Amino acid sequence: MRPPDSLALRLGSRSVLLPKRATVVALSIVVLLLLATAASVAVGNGRTVGWRAVEALLGGQSPFARRTVFDYRLPRVIAGAAAGAALGLAGCLTQTLARNRLATPDLVGVGDGATVGVLVTVLGSATASIGAWWAGPLGAVGAAVLVVAVAGGLGTAGYRVLVVGLALSVTIDAFTDLVLARQPVDVARSVWGWTIGNLNARGYPNAWPVMLGLAVLIPLALPASRKLNVLRFGDDTAAALGVVPARWRLYALAVAVGLAGLAVGVGGPLAFVAMAAPILATRLAGAARVPVVTAALTGALLVVCADTLGRAFGPVEVPVGVLASLLGGPFLLWVLLSGKDSS
Amino acid sequence: MRLLVEGLHAGYGGREVVSAVDLVAEPGSVTAIVGPNGCGKSTLLRCVARLHTPAAGRVTVDGADVWRRAPRHVARDLALLPQSPTAPEAITVAGLVAHGRHPHQGLFRQWSREDEAAAREALAATGVAELAGRRVDRLSGGQRQRCWLAMILAQDTPVVLLDEPTSALDLGHQVEVLSLIRKIARKRNRTVVMVVHDLAAAARYADRLIAMRDGRVAAEGAPADVLTSGLVKRLYGVEADILSAPGDGSPVVVARPDVDATTSSLSN
Repeated sequence: MRPPDSLALRLGSRSVLLPKRATVVALSIVVLLLLATAASVAVGNGRTVGWRAVEALLGGQSPFARRTVFDYRLPRVIAGAAAGAALGLAGCLTQTLARNRLATPDLVGVGDGATVGVLVTVLGSATASIGAWWAGPLGAVGAAVLVVAVAGGLGTAGYRVLVVGLALSVTIDAFTDLVLARQPVDVARSVWGWTIGNLNARGYPNAWPVMLGLAVLIPLALPASRKLNVLRFGDDTAAALGVVPARWRLYALAVAVGLAGLAVGVGGPLAFVAMAAPILATRLAGAARVPVVTAALTGALLVVCADTLGRAFGPVEVPVGVLASLLGGPFLLWVLLSGKDSS
Repeated sequence: MRLLVEGLHAGYGGREVVSAVDLVAEPGSVTAIVGPNGCGKSTLLRCVARLHTPAAGRVTVDGADVWRRAPRHVARDLALLPQSPTAPEAITVAGLVAHGRHPHQGLFRQWSREDEAAAREALAATGVAELAGRRVDRLSGGQRQRCWLAMILAQDTPVVLLDEPTSALDLGHQVEVLSLIRKIARKRNRTVVMVVHDLAAAARYADRLIAMRDGRVAAEGAPADVLTSGLVKRLYGVEADILSAPGDGSPVVVARPDVDATTSSLSN
């Protein structure tokens, strides 16, 4: 008998199991994401705002309005959505690996490693202000490898990795601040703007590498999610079902670090998205399985909404990272204080 | 399929826990491994189930070495119920049992008709079909253990390994689960090997006993032949009488009270 909460679709010898609730939730988030995209392009300076911008998005209005929407605003939305999806998915993988809701990619040094990477490229060039897109991911991967190496492998619960990650990221953080403190103010300011998480002036050049990375890594995350579902039964049961725990843990961590690194390359180390998206996804789609797809979609929605809100009020733009932290702090408290889901 | 263990050595670090163990388990029969704590019985089972790498020796199912095959292929021949398995939160009975089909599935073969049939049959055979939609973490211990057996059964393997399947159950559920295990072996012609703590239960439900002490096989054979007061003394250091059960004549172990301990507690 199939799991009663799922639908089995078969075509010849192929079959796919669709969890009903998760599918409905995922489709709803896609609709919300489209609405949020429309809302996001409708916010901005000049005459192409509100309904005009939405019409331009749908192909109406003047060529100028369409250019404003398609060349300036939409790329930013797409870059944000891609970064958010990558973070949500990465967070979902690391939380499941460590069996801890607070275990996000940031904790294995991804954010701080990326900051160092960007710092190096910015300081190394005379003109760059936000660094090359590959500098963040490269720094992220470097930090993650360092953390896992110092922790002496992944261990069984990922706990060592988290503790080592926490210690190393604090150290790297202090080092970054030390280097920044010795820089001219304008350089320090531009790097600082990046370190708080920002989508300002992010366009297609930023979005493409992440989109490509996502196109490769999301399909790689899907088989990992099936194995992670089995790993939740504990290592012994998983091994008896033919899933080698150590192999799949390393695989999932590698995919997660790759995703988080790419996301950092676009928007900087956006706080809380990687933690909040999977938790929200679990609440929405149910705890019966690892919500890989829902977490990615939720992450995208969170970042697009936060970025839109940050631009919607007042003349000064609030960076998406600041807004995410502002919303994420209370969210973290809610998670910690609301009983059974906190572990 | 026949399970064969030949010259198995295993240990942790430099300490050898299992020494030169040979074992044969035949289809349609239940083999129980008994022995005192730390005798190596669990490690032996872990080596057979591919959870612990042996230092030397071979484990074969139907002639094929389990350590030389892909983990997924071995999982189609050999199922294991660990001692205290953990179910993910919020999983339903049907969801749990469905996971037993994992070794038969793939990314584009997530739920075939065979999966459906095997899961349905496993739920029916263990009597948990009516619990299918219930959450596993809200069931009683006995019900939960039957669900785990259903998952193992859904895996549809010729060899089934069980690590202390009744350790957390009361007498009623112990009888229920052990009867079910014997039925699985007999009716479905499975090769069942289980580690059991309770000597009396092992004697009553197993076709063959393998008694271990200090990592070696101390005695093996039919319970009625193997179970003697001498063996109990050797395994546990306890004086015991072996009686014959009124119904089927299977051996019953009754430990004699420790005379010194009794008198000293009386004098206090």
